[in-house]
Amino acid sequence: MAEIAEQVLITPGSRVESTAWKWMRYSGLLLIPLAWGHVLLQDVLVGVHSINLDYVAMRWASLGWRVYDFLLLAFAFAHGVNGLRQVITDYIPSDEWMKRISWALLVFWLILSTIGAIAIVGGVRQV
Amino acid sequence: MDAVRTTISGFTRYRFRTGQLSFVLHRLTGLGTLLFLMVHILDTSTVYFFPQLYEHAIRLYRSTPLMIGEIILVFCVIFHGVNGARIALFDLFSPKWWRVESQNKTALTTLAVAIVLWLPAAFLMGRNLILNNF
Repeated sequence: MAEIAEQVLITPGSRVESTAWKWMRYSGLLLIPLAWGHVLLQDVLVGVHSINLDYVAMRWASLGWRVYDFLLLAFAFAHGVNGLRQVITDYIPSDEWMKRISWALLVFWLILSTIGAIAIVGGVRQV
Repeated sequence: MDAVRTTISGFTRYRFRTGQLSFVLHRLTGLGTLLFLMVHILDTSTVYFFPQLYEHAIRLYRSTPLMIGEIILVFCVIFHGVNGARIALFDLFSPKWWRVESQNKTALTTLAVAIVLWLPAAFLMGRNLILNNF
């Protein structure tokens, strides 16, 4: 028994997976101030009835808010897609298929993140 | 056939305790937030790609069903954060806190903290909903 327990503890398994495991925890801790701050400001204090193109343009006039939104996009969406991958892993026993799904999710993450990043850098276009 | 029987009897006999409640809630709130986040990245991106569409998207968010959804979303974000903090802090800094005996208590504390944080937010958003839509 002790030997088995030792082996389980020592065997590092996949390097990528243990990095992803740690990364979920560190990014999660960072997301608590980032996402909660965003929700508190936009949903609770400002409210959707006060948000329009002019509001976004005003907010993004400050570089600080653009950096904030960029960090939120980068960390929240990567955290979410990797979380989805972890959930799917529980239901897909085949390593082969899991590999394909992981690549598909990576491509999906990259496309949506790029769209979001272009919008944050490009800013509000006047109609 | 035996495997099926084991699965079914295991499923019906499985005792749904608080630790599992945390696990299920963490997944549901995470997946729910992700679903919204995907839509939210796209709707915000319209400010650059199709500015006329942004006002349309915001009009949808101002509708009563979506504002109720927003209140639920905020619960998801708060619970996922509180429970996630518990997981991250226990795993990274003090794995010895993962004790079977204390799981019931910590799981319920997590849920209670999330609800206490959510109530004032839900109140302000509910007020916003009533003042603007009724």
